[in-house]
Amino acid sequence: MKELFSTKSLLGILYFVAGMIILGGIWALVSKLTKNEIPNPQATWLVFKEVMHQPFQNDPDYKGVGTKLLSSLTRVAIGFGLGSLVAIPLGLLMGSSKIAMKMVNPIVQILKPVSPLAWFPLGLAIFQDSPKASIFMIFICSVWPTLINAAFGASHIPQDHKNVSKAFGFSTWKYLTKILLPFSLPHIITGLRLSIGVAWMVIVAGEMLSGGQGLGYFVWEEGFNGGNIAKILVAIIIIGLVGSLLDKCFTWLQQRFSYAV
Amino acid sequence: MSTVTINTDQDNIGVVADELLKQAVAETSIEVNNVSVSFKTPGGIYTAIKDIDLTVQKGEIVSLIGHSGCGKSTLMGVISGMVKPTQGEVIANGKKVNAPGPDRGIVFQNYSLLPWLSVYKNIFVAVDSALKDKTTAEKMALVETNLKMVNLWEHKDKLPGQLSGGMKQRVAIARAFSINPKILLLDEPFGALDALTKSTMHVELLKLWVMDNRQKTIVMVTHDIEEAIFLSDRVVVMNNGPAATIKEIIDVPLGRPRNKKDIVHDPAYMKIHDKLLNLLIDKFSIADITIEQ
Repeated sequence: MKELFSTKSLLGILYFVAGMIILGGIWALVSKLTKNEIPNPQATWLVFKEVMHQPFQNDPDYKGVGTKLLSSLTRVAIGFGLGSLVAIPLGLLMGSSKIAMKMVNPIVQILKPVSPLAWFPLGLAIFQDSPKASIFMIFICSVWPTLINAAFGASHIPQDHKNVSKAFGFSTWKYLTKILLPFSLPHIITGLRLSIGVAWMVIVAGEMLSGGQGLGYFVWEEGFNGGNIAKILVAIIIIGLVGSLLDKCFTWLQQRFSYAV
Repeated sequence: MSTVTINTDQDNIGVVADELLKQAVAETSIEVNNVSVSFKTPGGIYTAIKDIDLTVQKGEIVSLIGHSGCGKSTLMGVISGMVKPTQGEVIANGKKVNAPGPDRGIVFQNYSLLPWLSVYKNIFVAVDSALKDKTTAEKMALVETNLKMVNLWEHKDKLPGQLSGGMKQRVAIARAFSINPKILLLDEPFGALDALTKSTMHVELLKLWVMDNRQKTIVMVTHDIEEAIFLSDRVVVMNNGPAATIKEIIDVPLGRPRNKKDIVHDPAYMKIHDKLLNLLIDKFSIADITIEQ
């Protein structure tokens, strides 16, 4: 039985608080050195409360930060979902077939290092619509990590498992569902976790380019152009919290689908 | 008068039945004909086994014994259909072996259970794949019977990772038995187990074999001399590879059921044991090791 507050977890909390105090101190110092050009933590907190006053306000002329967050998340979800739908089967195919690997891998190696932002104007040219272009960009950048990890998983199925399939005459379907997928699943989830991280980073940049919607727009328009640096800091905190929450979800999934050998 | 006739008839029937039985007993289960296996390696062609001939009768237990890398597992692979022979052929149950089939159940060296499936499902997927004509209810009944036979029914919902080595091996054996193969191929089945668990497993394997009226042919790869003698009717000793051949086939004419404790004092057992030791080992003491100056 684990105690709720063991010395270890208490110490952990203590170290966390200490870290936060040090960070707050540096922040306050920077604020002082820039003569409040960078607002100090207290000022930022006030803006945070103000921003959070009616976060889901959704008037035609003004949208709250929560509404903007949701619109960013929606686009990430669509792009990431579509990207994963392409990446998982294609990755498994690459991992299972040497021919598919030789055909697709060089293309992946060339396209993977391209900054996702480079795809934005292309998306704009294709769809003539900036939100769709953002989704396109998210789609592209969420493909690579999942694709590569799924391919890695599928290509590393132990000979033992393949022998079982041969010895007992598994059908192709049975091999896919009882061996290939379960074995590759932890790898796929690792890929998804990396993909969602990239997607979340890229959406903010994309929305700065596309304008009009989302957290990126909030940072750029209300923060920088509006001359309200505190809003930028608030947005950074929100983006960070949501990003780490997304990461936590996939870490949980990873643990859920790992198995002892 | 009439009673005598009936008696004679019964005797005749008895004689005929005996002959039928003898025929059944003498039925060939596995025929390995002039089999060689070579592999392509970066360093050229490597011949693992060469010109192997071996006939195994139905219901016989045969062990393949030899040093590591002598090609015993390769020979096993050819019988199972996992390895294609470069030369020669294997006839199993009257048919030429081209691929693995449900008439030959395999127990692998490292259990080879699927770690994401429960004990029950591990056996069920195998039965489901191998015995396509059976109904789901029949398949489920088979899984249940076989799991109960190895005393693992109460562990049926556990994952392989939650089992000890001996339990995993029992699952693997139950899986092989549950597709009711005529031939059972065991590739170093007890190699990873501790000596105590191993002894128990030997007796359990023989129990399963006897429960099935000694109908199954068992071929087992091992490098354990005591294990080979205790279980087998014949022990096939292989030469060291590459291009390993059969060195000698030793008969084990010890009565069954055999008793682990008593058998070691049997003079016949000791003779066979000595013979196998001599065939397999050439250095028995530090006095046998010559040190070059």
